[in-house]
Amino acid sequence: MTFRQFAYRNVVRNSRIYGAFFMASFFSVAVFFIYSMLMFHPDIESGILGEASLIGMVGAEVVLVLFTLFFLYYSMSAFLEARSHEFAILLHLGMEKRQMNKLVFLETMIIGSGSIFVGIVFGFSFSKFFFMIVREILHLDSLPLYVSWEPFLLTIGVFTSAFVVISFISVYFTRERKLRDLLKGNDYLNSVSTYSKIRAVIGITLILSSYVLSIIVGNTSLIDLTLVIPFLATFGTYYFFRDSLPCFLDKARGKRKFHWQRYRLLSLAEQTHIMMDNVKMFFVVTMVSTMAFLSVGVLATMSSYTIQYDRLNPLGLVYKGDGDNPYERNHIASLRMELEEMGLSYHLSRFVVIKQTSSYTQNEVEVFRESDMNVLLSSYSYPLLDMAKGEAVFIPYSEESLNKLKNKVVHTVLEENSIPITIDSVYPKIVFPGSIVSVNSIVISDEDFVKLIKPIADKNVAQPTYHLFTFYIPQWMETKNIGKDINELQASLYFYKKNKFSPFYFENAGLNYSYILATYSLFTLVGVLVATVFLLAAGSFVYFKLHTSLEREKRKFDVLKRMGLTDTELKKLVNRHLFPQFFLPWGVAMMHSLFAFLMVQGVLKDTANISIVKEVVLSFSFFVLIQVVYFYLIRWRYISHIRS
Amino acid sequence: MPILQIKDVTKVYEGKVTHRALNQLSFEVEEGEFLAVMGPSGSGKTTLLNLISTIDEPTSGEIILDGMNPHMLKATELAYFRRRQLGFVFQDFNLLHMLTVEENIVLPLTLDQQPLEVMEERLASIVEKLDLTSFLHKRPNEISGGQAQRTAIGRALIHNPSLILADEPTGNLDSNSSRDVLELLTKINQERRTTIVMVTHDPIAASYCDRVLFIKDGEFFNEIYKDDRRQMFFQRILNVLSLLGGGQVGDLSTIRLP
Repeated sequence: MTFRQFAYRNVVRNSRIYGAFFMASFFSVAVFFIYSMLMFHPDIESGILGEASLIGMVGAEVVLVLFTLFFLYYSMSAFLEARSHEFAILLHLGMEKRQMNKLVFLETMIIGSGSIFVGIVFGFSFSKFFFMIVREILHLDSLPLYVSWEPFLLTIGVFTSAFVVISFISVYFTRERKLRDLLKGNDYLNSVSTYSKIRAVIGITLILSSYVLSIIVGNTSLIDLTLVIPFLATFGTYYFFRDSLPCFLDKARGKRKFHWQRYRLLSLAEQTHIMMDNVKMFFVVTMVSTMAFLSVGVLATMSSYTIQYDRLNPLGLVYKGDGDNPYERNHIASLRMELEEMGLSYHLSRFVVIKQTSSYTQNEVEVFRESDMNVLLSSYSYPLLDMAKGEAVFIPYSEESLNKLKNKVVHTVLEENSIPITIDSVYPKIVFPGSIVSVNSIVISDEDFVKLIKPIADKNVAQPTYHLFTFYIPQWMETKNIGKDINELQASLYFYKKNKFSPFYFENAGLNYSYILATYSLFTLVGVLVATVFLLAAGSFVYFKLHTSLEREKRKFDVLKRMGLTDTELKKLVNRHLFPQFFLPWGVAMMHSLFAFLMVQGVLKDTANISIVKEVVLSFSFFVLIQVVYFYLIRWRYISHIRS
Repeated sequence: MPILQIKDVTKVYEGKVTHRALNQLSFEVEEGEFLAVMGPSGSGKTTLLNLISTIDEPTSGEIILDGMNPHMLKATELAYFRRRQLGFVFQDFNLLHMLTVEENIVLPLTLDQQPLEVMEERLASIVEKLDLTSFLHKRPNEISGGQAQRTAIGRALIHNPSLILADEPTGNLDSNSSRDVLELLTKINQERRTTIVMVTHDPIAASYCDRVLFIKDGEFFNEIYKDDRRQMFFQRILNVLSLLGGGQVGDLSTIRLP
């Protein structure tokens, strides 16, 4: 048996131990490879998605690699720890330290190359499927599978170097221990670390203050404070696990009446021990889970934005031009022609909008005509307006404005033409996208409208009157290719004649939507995959740690069984043993993300006017579900190991 | 009245290699007796102890403990039986590392949901008897082997079991600590009339007992009773052991002994 064969057999016959490690690294490789496939895709490179998404993908790759490095290092050292007894025997038999390092290196490379190979095969076989999903959500015509050496080379290069680095680091950074201790096995207990009460208080204070700050930011939009919160939360979390929790548990242990009860004696002591031993792990798992929650929560937010987009932008195409816009006739004709060529049905409504000064606020107000409005409303099949002379209705510009304007009654006079009106209601649905209508927009009756002869007094107002053409298109998502030259003209006018306003403004909801959707979908893909890797890793940390201490736990339960622990009691004890390890970091992470979301919700309310509560609750409960399943899975494995 | 009766107990381990660990073994232990079981490695001592402690079942034969056969009980009742009737002392102490000495001792009572007053009262009396006061709040890894074994004896005694099973209790101790522990066990046996069954390799340890039972290859070999003088008893144990050594070597050595 050569040395290499020895290493190989070590790995193959230790498959139970190495299985989890292999799975984790294989999954990282597969995700990384699929990403690279997408990144190097010739169609994507030619820029369907734009620069921003490409940068986002590269960023995700970098995060993935960094995280994988850390994750591999952690699991590697956990396994070395678990196998210390085996190594001790080898060292005892006269193996040199150098040879042992070589052994670890060889083993890591065997597992590494195995997982790289399987990961790439798995990734490649699923990349067509992945491309199909991408194609669907990006509304691309085709995204064919391709073969190119780049993604393969990138994946193999990155992960080979990662495994090499990891095997060196984990060997050189393992604690130097006496052979005797190694032979005795894992029950070598670290000297019990102590906590400090001051730091315990600091930890709680930091966390609480970050929570308070996040609420303040949410309500007052002091965005600068956001930079401080992550630091506060990070340090707070660390001290919370390092000092606050042990301090709390120690206090609980002081109370005999509470402590000396059934399993509490054991489980409290055990928790203290676990806490003190695994501060770093708890901290890392908490932070990683927080990140995963946040990324998924942000995605949920964006998805809610895309869902609401339809409602906020009821019109397919909107063309708005000055009263003397020279392009008007041509543009409208070309738009109609393009729509007809595409075979899309549409309702065109024309508006003449006149600006006036309101005596009530002395601000300008945009006045729409009742009959113009009714043409559009009938194409939506919304209820029509029927107004008497002197009556007026607000046009809502956002969801929020609907509620704000609902009960407002204003008596005002349109000053230039001295027309008294009473605005006593708001139209109950959003008719125009927010970017088109101004905050002060009203509809008046036809009788009043014809009397608006004099233009607005203020000479500085741009567009004293304007023409608005709205195309209501039921299949608005298919309009993204319409009016491309108008868009280009608009862009060039904007760039070359900055001193003057462009005489027209054109908005294509379908096109905008396709941009938003593309960016969003890409971020979803990136985010979901990264979050999956994060969550998998967070769960695996706990698993590895459990695995390392399995022998010791087995002995402990053996003693307890002799002392008369029943089977149900054993299960309960295991529950109490596993539950905090699983759910404590998650609980803290949930709290963190909850407050982060409260902040985001507060900030968003001012700008984009989206509610994310439903999405966040949904994604959180999904996470809890996954975690519960994972908990029972691990518990089942754990109990069967303990019993054997 | 015998507190423990072993009747024709046979234990066969089935598996890739079938192995008969105990073969038709029978003996009785009287209430208040201090019995040592000796035998060479692989003679079935540990198997016997596992059978008595009910964590393993005999292939045939029966074990009667305090008038009943615990192997007829259901798993949960069996666990309750163990936690009330049996106390264990192990070679490597098997104290739980995350508990303090004090907590280790009261553990059997907390598992049995005794009220706090009872626990504190029993703890106080045990602590006094075993002289554990000075290190009550330390961790098992902060105390010496002798202290750890005394703690383990405290844990085995606190619930007043009817039978204490000791598996090589002096195996990991130096001679002074061994003597302390053995004298302690003798004292407990005499004062409390607690029945103790001790498995050991060590003839000195065995010489503290009332009776020594020898088994070899899972079968009864011999038994001897205590003398007035421990020195004589020890000598006789040695004689039986050299016979027990088996094969030609043992026979020769007895002849060569002066």
